[in-house]
Amino acid sequence: MNFAITLHDITKSYDGFTAVDAFSLQVQRGTVFGLLGPNGAGKTTLIKILTTLMRPTLGDAFVEGHSVLTAGKEVRRVIGVVPQENNLDRYLTARENLALHARLHGMRPAAYNPRIDQLLEMTGLAGRQHDFPDTFSGGMQRRLVVARALVHEPRVLFLDEPTTGLDPQSRRSLWDHIRGLRRTMTVFLTTHYMDEADALCDRIMIMDHGTCLADGTAAQLKDAFSRAHTYQVEFRNDADRYQEVLAGLPFVKGVERDGSLFQITLADEESIKPLMDHLSGSDIRRICLKEPTLEDVFISLTGEKVRE
Amino acid sequence: MFKGAFSIWGRDMRVMRRSIVSELVSVIAYPLTLYLAFGFGLKGYITDVNGVPYPLFIAPGLISMTAVNAAFDESSWSMWFHRKVQRTIEEYRVTPVTVYDIVIGKIFSGFSQGAVKGTVVFLVILALTPFRIDYTHLPVYLLCIALSSMTFSCLGTICGTVIDKPENIGRVQSVVIVPLIFMAGIFFPLSSYPSSILPLIQLLPTTAVFEGARDALLTGAIPSQYLVNLLLTAAACFTIAVYTFNRKMAE
Repeated sequence: MNFAITLHDITKSYDGFTAVDAFSLQVQRGTVFGLLGPNGAGKTTLIKILTTLMRPTLGDAFVEGHSVLTAGKEVRRVIGVVPQENNLDRYLTARENLALHARLHGMRPAAYNPRIDQLLEMTGLAGRQHDFPDTFSGGMQRRLVVARALVHEPRVLFLDEPTTGLDPQSRRSLWDHIRGLRRTMTVFLTTHYMDEADALCDRIMIMDHGTCLADGTAAQLKDAFSRAHTYQVEFRNDADRYQEVLAGLPFVKGVERDGSLFQITLADEESIKPLMDHLSGSDIRRICLKEPTLEDVFISLTGEKVRE
Repeated sequence: MFKGAFSIWGRDMRVMRRSIVSELVSVIAYPLTLYLAFGFGLKGYITDVNGVPYPLFIAPGLISMTAVNAAFDESSWSMWFHRKVQRTIEEYRVTPVTVYDIVIGKIFSGFSQGAVKGTVVFLVILALTPFRIDYTHLPVYLLCIALSSMTFSCLGTICGTVIDKPENIGRVQSVVIVPLIFMAGIFFPLSSYPSSILPLIQLLPTTAVFEGARDALLTGAIPSQYLVNLLLTAAACFTIAVYTFNRKMAE
């Protein structure tokens, strides 16, 4: 068996609302898997089910072969969890937070002390190990939570929106740590940030309303959803006239204008030639193909409407 | 078995050690003030109760009150804080410990806080006042305190588990816990109650706590009806606390 995580038709409903709907998934061992979705898509519910914090209404899930329904303790033995909020113990020092976690995993001081030294060094917190988390910046607290999740050397690490609220430097620093874990364990990550998923994940799944909308590598998703063929054209002259011309062309599927800059979406690849026939080369300052981003894919799948 | 409970209890004791001096000042101040105010203030008016000097009559109850209040406070606020504010309960729950480990660890933390603070108040009253006891009575008295602290620790755990708004924990204390404590005859003999309601008062767990403690300290024995009451109440509260926490975590 080469799958670290397997979900079989997981459904979670409460009070008539279905947060996750017959969701199935297999995650290859040693990969970084990213789950993307807008607020309320069901990402955190899935993580809670996989970490045994919540029981599914229907279906079962397996982490390293252990069922979340019947072998919760075994599941918890092999997982590390970085929740959305920094749930550090503010009455314990950074080192004591890690030591308590190790003891809850049944580790002895001889085993956990060298491991804690190593993790504090890795996360750059060795110099602050005897300080309380309240005195740390958000980025340092987040790094401490990651270190805590790694104390017992889990085989699967769950990261629920690990960089939300961090400044760009702290985000990059945390990304480096997550990259360092690649191949040594399976990482299951949820995020709102497309660049984060793009930079870190071997495989990305986009979900909404409790179901999977798209699944693949970042490149595969961009390819699959770049059928629209969008070009950016900036005109030197006659921008108003060209807006009318473009509106009348049957192979132009959409036009967005910002001053003299147009974003033109064509029906297919072959439409670029007839488009150029209708534009005068001397009026064009610049034309380029707009590469789709993961965010374009995300928006096209989940819509632009802001969720409550 | 219960290694997780022991780790959680160890964490709570470490935190208690850090703040013990500042905490003890406030813990001692309240019962000591009551002791001085009632014990000495009323000494001229109430010389003795059923042959027991009034300061000696109220001292066991004040020590027990400190212990059970500390047990309730620690369990209720700690459980609520770890569940709602710090969310460390969630961190415990993604480790291999069981919910039983968590709730038992928290109950024993409350019990330990009660035992430590009750002991300190006992020593302070012993040092600052003419209050003296027969030390051979101490083991029975400690048994009474242990059962009482366990009961109140379980009650605190139940409150900290089911109550989401902190002000409601304060309301439970002022509407349920404090009246139960003061109705139980810390400052006056139960014979002051009308005979029609006396049997009901004698059934209160707090009556078993305070009357039992007084009898234990002064005579070296807990009356059997109070001992049974203490044992049954502690067992029932423990079962309800574990069940409630388990249910809450399954939500």
